[in-house]
Amino acid sequence: MFELSTNVASPQQLRRGDFSAYDALYLGEFSCLSYPNNFCAHPEFLAEAVAQVYELGKKAYLRLFAVPSNHDLPTVRKVIETALALPFDGFEVHNLGLLQMLKEMGNTKPIHLGVFGNLYTDATARVVKDYGVTRVYPNPELSLDEAIYIRDNTPIDVLIPVHGKIPLVVAETCFIHENSGGLPGEDCKFKCSQEHWLTRSSGDWSLKDTGCMTLSGADLCMLEHVDRLAAAKLNAFYVQSHGESPEYIAKVGRIYRDAFTRAFAGEAEGDVAPLLEELSGLAKMGLCNGYYFGDAGRRYVGRT
Amino acid sequence: MVMMMAPGGTRDMCRLVLDEGADAVYVGVVGWSRRGAEHELSDDEIRHVIDDAAARGREVRIVVNTLPSSTEIPMFIERIVQYAGWGAKGFMISDVGCMRLVKKLLPKVAVHTSVGCGVTNFEDVRFLRDNGATHVVLPYRMTVEEIAEIKQKTGVGIEVFLFKTPSGGKICPGKCMMSSYFSYRRWLDETGKDHFYGSASRGGDCLRVCQTEWDFGPDDSFIRHGMTIKTNPALWLDELPAYLAAGVDCLKVPGRDRSDLLVRDIVRFYRRVLDVIQGSDRPDLSGFRDELLVFHQRWKVERGIRDNRLIGEAEREARRVERAQVSAKNFEVVI
Repeated sequence: MFELSTNVASPQQLRRGDFSAYDALYLGEFSCLSYPNNFCAHPEFLAEAVAQVYELGKKAYLRLFAVPSNHDLPTVRKVIETALALPFDGFEVHNLGLLQMLKEMGNTKPIHLGVFGNLYTDATARVVKDYGVTRVYPNPELSLDEAIYIRDNTPIDVLIPVHGKIPLVVAETCFIHENSGGLPGEDCKFKCSQEHWLTRSSGDWSLKDTGCMTLSGADLCMLEHVDRLAAAKLNAFYVQSHGESPEYIAKVGRIYRDAFTRAFAGEAEGDVAPLLEELSGLAKMGLCNGYYFGDAGRRYVGRT
Repeated sequence: MVMMMAPGGTRDMCRLVLDEGADAVYVGVVGWSRRGAEHELSDDEIRHVIDDAAARGREVRIVVNTLPSSTEIPMFIERIVQYAGWGAKGFMISDVGCMRLVKKLLPKVAVHTSVGCGVTNFEDVRFLRDNGATHVVLPYRMTVEEIAEIKQKTGVGIEVFLFKTPSGGKICPGKCMMSSYFSYRRWLDETGKDHFYGSASRGGDCLRVCQTEWDFGPDDSFIRHGMTIKTNPALWLDELPAYLAAGVDCLKVPGRDRSDLLVRDIVRFYRRVLDVIQGSDRPDLSGFRDELLVFHQRWKVERGIRDNRLIGEAEREARRVERAQVSAKNFEVVI
């Protein structure tokens, strides 16, 4: 009927979290290879992780590093080699060069194009489809109508993020390391384990920074529009949870699981105000609708 | 022989850079390049620039590097065919799907990937080559060794900016949506062309929100105050012989949104530098360093003026939307 997914970076997070609301997990933190015990960089963790996810009755997709340099490619290749021999349900790729690599390595698993794959058009969706891509995460700047157009005209599955901070920038270097006295080449002190924020000195603009990635300050929230998503026959939904607490992941997942279950059963959504309040309470910088309705990413558009 | 491509942000700029010895000039099409309309040319102007360049034995590259809407693609292709018919020898494109369509339709034109493709490694370059790119522009931060490896493994034409970020800050552009997160507006014009104010990737100007003053730190305890998010790139010089030896085919002078005179002087400068490099096995560039510092200063002044204007626009747009939302709410209350 529908698939609700989220992301898990490491074995520790997989053990600690409550993922009961989700159907599928994207394993790995795609923006930083140095992230502690990141599935993207540690092939030795993959067999146990995929077994654990199956034990939970969920699908497991493996994320690949989004911005590999020439120097990082052997690490990524090793991860792919290991994963090809394991029962992963697919790979998530952000870097188009890795599509080429997967093809040459004989991959037959489905590939999902990630958020930094920069997908804006059905023409590009057709190109990546030729490389085995079965699902795309359209660039966040696209409206909901554009995402649906790509789905219908390629045709290809689209992943629709429904909650969580929007990935806005991915960098090859760590902003936290650089700005907290770290020198280039110096070992990472994992200061990203604390939340870091960028706040405009003279205004209300805010962004969250996880080191190699900058996210929206506000949390994307599509709870008020779940009926519309279901009516458009979209069926793959995603909660972006990198840098969030296990409580956040569990609670947000539960709210959306219930909402989509009702929507797909044709039941009216009812009064979502209390749930919105709950979600607002989890969002330090408020809620937004991203670009889905053709507006600036940080705006929130209610159902009415 | 390396090709020096210079910007043509205005028709006068096109003429000046060709006068100063640019091998090619690149011009943006109104609504279709990653700059505001004031630095793009109309079709009439483009036709004149193509004729002028052809008369001098030079080339024109057409910048159509927005990431368009799916529904705009037929219009995009129509324009490409038109410019190729007028004699344009190549196009700068970001969208891989469009790149493949152009190459299939016009196999003889040069297809340069735009910086918007966000290349990070040689596999990326192979992918782009296999999908129609004849030249791939590499990001500011790549080392000479990385460039040499890419050239050796792909054989594709390599293009680099005469511009690089010394260190620090976020990568930009290609993988950045910060501007449109704060200020963004979409509308269709009378021809059916989509416009996306605030999104550099989609043809609006990047509103340079990264260049305003930010406080940064864990939770509420800021460790940096009044910082910018991105370090600005600067013109460079000393590594040029090594870059050429690594196999760079095409040098791109930045500055479509700078003044005609600054761009003219930069092109004149690099023409002299390249002539010295190409005329000697051991070129001595030390005599150019002081001049380069003056360009850094002139560049910085013009960039500062532009950044302030764009950040101001971002703020005004944000306020406009806030006011509109308040009015809409008041209207609902009255109803």
